[in-house]
Amino acid sequence: MSIFSAKYRPLAKKGFECVFKTLTLKPCDTGLDDQIKSEIVGKLLKYSPALAKIINKQFALLSWIFVLLTIGSLAYSGLGIYNFYLYGNCEGPNATGACILNDITGDYGRFSEPKDLIAPTTLDGIAVGDPNAEIKIVEFGCFTCPYTKKAEPTIQQLIREYNDSIYYVFKPFPLPNHNGSFDAARAVLCADEQNKSWELRTEIFRHQEICSTDGVLAIKNLAKNAGINMSNFNRCYDQNKTDAALSRYIQQGKDSHVYATPTFFINNKTIVGPKTVEQFKCVINENQNLFEQIGCSLGQWWGK
Amino acid sequence: MNDLRSDFPILKNNPDLIYLDSACTTLKPRPVIDAAIEYYERYGACANRSSHRKGRETTEKIDQIRERVAGFVGGDSEGTLWTKNATEAINTVISGFDYSKKNKVITTNMEHHAVLLPLMRLRDRGKIKLEVVENSHPDSNLEEEIRKKIDKETALIVLNNANNTTGKRQKVDEIGKMAHEFGAKLCVDGAQGVPHFKCDLKKENIDFIAFSAHKMLGPTGVGALVCRKEDLSGLRPLVVGGGNVKKVELNKIEWAADQSRFEAGTQNYSGIFGFGAAIEYLTKIGIQKIEEHEKDLRKKMVNCIQNAGAQVYGDESSASALVSFNFKGAKPHEVALMLDQQGIALRSGFFCAQIALEAIGAKEGAVRASAYLYNDQEDIKKFGEKLEKIGKLYS
Ligand SMILES: Cc1ncc(COP(=O)(O)O)c(C=O)c1O
Repeated sequence: MSIFSAKYRPLAKKGFECVFKTLTLKPCDTGLDDQIKSEIVGKLLKYSPALAKIINKQFALLSWIFVLLTIGSLAYSGLGIYNFYLYGNCEGPNATGACILNDITGDYGRFSEPKDLIAPTTLDGIAVGDPNAEIKIVEFGCFTCPYTKKAEPTIQQLIREYNDSIYYVFKPFPLPNHNGSFDAARAVLCADEQNKSWELRTEIFRHQEICSTDGVLAIKNLAKNAGINMSNFNRCYDQNKTDAALSRYIQQGKDSHVYATPTFFINNKTIVGPKTVEQFKCVINENQNLFEQIGCSLGQWWGK
Repeated sequence: MNDLRSDFPILKNNPDLIYLDSACTTLKPRPVIDAAIEYYERYGACANRSSHRKGRETTEKIDQIRERVAGFVGGDSEGTLWTKNATEAINTVISGFDYSKKNKVITTNMEHHAVLLPLMRLRDRGKIKLEVVENSHPDSNLEEEIRKKIDKETALIVLNNANNTTGKRQKVDEIGKMAHEFGAKLCVDGAQGVPHFKCDLKKENIDFIAFSAHKMLGPTGVGALVCRKEDLSGLRPLVVGGGNVKKVELNKIEWAADQSRFEAGTQNYSGIFGFGAAIEYLTKIGIQKIEEHEKDLRKKMVNCIQNAGAQVYGDESSASALVSFNFKGAKPHEVALMLDQQGIALRSGFFCAQIALEAIGAKEGAVRASAYLYNDQEDIKKFGEKLEKIGKLYS
């Protein structure tokens, strides 16, 4: 940051020079190391002359440790940026993260801090189960987001286990920074017209990478494999018949302040990112007894 | 001396500061700061140019100060000219001197870059023949060394009467006498002398003496060259422009006969006002008293530094309260920065006198503590305590 300040720019310059020289095993002759050492030792002298003496003697070793730590943390930051670019999350594909809405174009109205999430007011979407069921789970998801994919087995298991007592609604929320996300959302909505959305959705998640790289072409192939009537499907898809619905879902996502996928609203509770079945259960049961609530918080804390 | 400290706003504003870098520049007392401001608040005009009342008042005041500055070193105002610092005053002599008849210049290896660089540049351009005599050893006898080199070809001898590296003082009257025997001139770099002990142009057979206001409680950006009026005529001004001339026609310049020939452009009036106040302040205390005070400080400084385990450079009998030293195994900048952390301001490095530092055996530079009239024994005691702690780091 210091390169932006006239006061600290010369220090930053000396610092870079010093690190570079240290790395190339040349002595740092900018005097910065001496300056830092002297200031630290000078300050310490007031409190502990003995410690000051040790630092004074071992400063070269200490600075090497710091150089290595700096390189380590730089490399880690680089990896984070790479992951963010590739997976939409700094921690990479296997992390308990979520695909962050990186709204560079501003179409989604935000590229800022997450606001508080607000549960959607309507239950339209691609739905499974009894609309009168006690537990209602709404998911905003993006078909080409690896984290939405990662949450999929959990969702399937929950639907299986809770059976009739869950009403599950999927609202497509394609992220603009994920290739193929809009194509996939339209395709699943078209498949839903033929009641084949689950089949296509499963296929898309299974072949998520090709969908991202090859877009419509790959998705249509998957649709064919899923046993979808292709002439109806093509008509729906090519005539943009689902655009109105898709825009509606996106608007609902924006109104709910969704900032990452998958985002779940479980009755009025929220979960962002793929979590374990246990963690979902915790949230579902949360208003039970105190003991379970504590267990839940711990579970969420420790759960992977 | 003890109640002087309250005159220095910077010491009031920084009660914990122990300032031991007076050889670089001194702190300024209230009257100096007030005088510098007074120019802007009450005078505000050009000197020697405008005939309106404010112009006349400014001219009068500047002339009075010129007389005071000249008198401080035993010179006359006709031979005194303003410069921006000692460096410019020294350059005025070295670069403006007439080397057409003889061109040998003698100097010493204990000079500041303000002396050595203009001389070496002239030597490298083939304009002068330069002799640099040894003066770094505590036992060197400079007079003898110069006598070995001086001859009828010698035009100029340039040296300091107190150096900024070991604090060693140099009596120059005999050297001046010797110079005159050979028809040469003596130019004294008085930057570290004039502020600290009585210097007298005439009594000491000096031809030119250069000094800076800021090293003697005055403002930065002003200095003086003092000489005899006759000696000015042999010098060529460094810079020319407004105020230098009597008359100009397109194919003829008639230069001013007096010192204004050397004062091109608008001068640092505010600085000169402050310079005047500084001289007044020093005179009131008495330069002799300052000299004695510094002698006591030096003794204590040398003791403290040696007790802390550092090596002191130079002759202990040299009288300025200016001591350079080093701890074995410590870089000078390190020590200075550590002292800075403890509230002690002093200088480290080569002090613009690299040749001198090499000559005394401080190839990597040194740490230098230099005190002045506002420092007291208590300052030095604290300095000694902090230094002792640092010494233990390297023991
Ligand atoms: C011996 C000596 N000569 C000349 C100078 C130059 O003084 P100034 O920088 O004020 O021109 C100094 C200042 O450090 C000095 O110590």
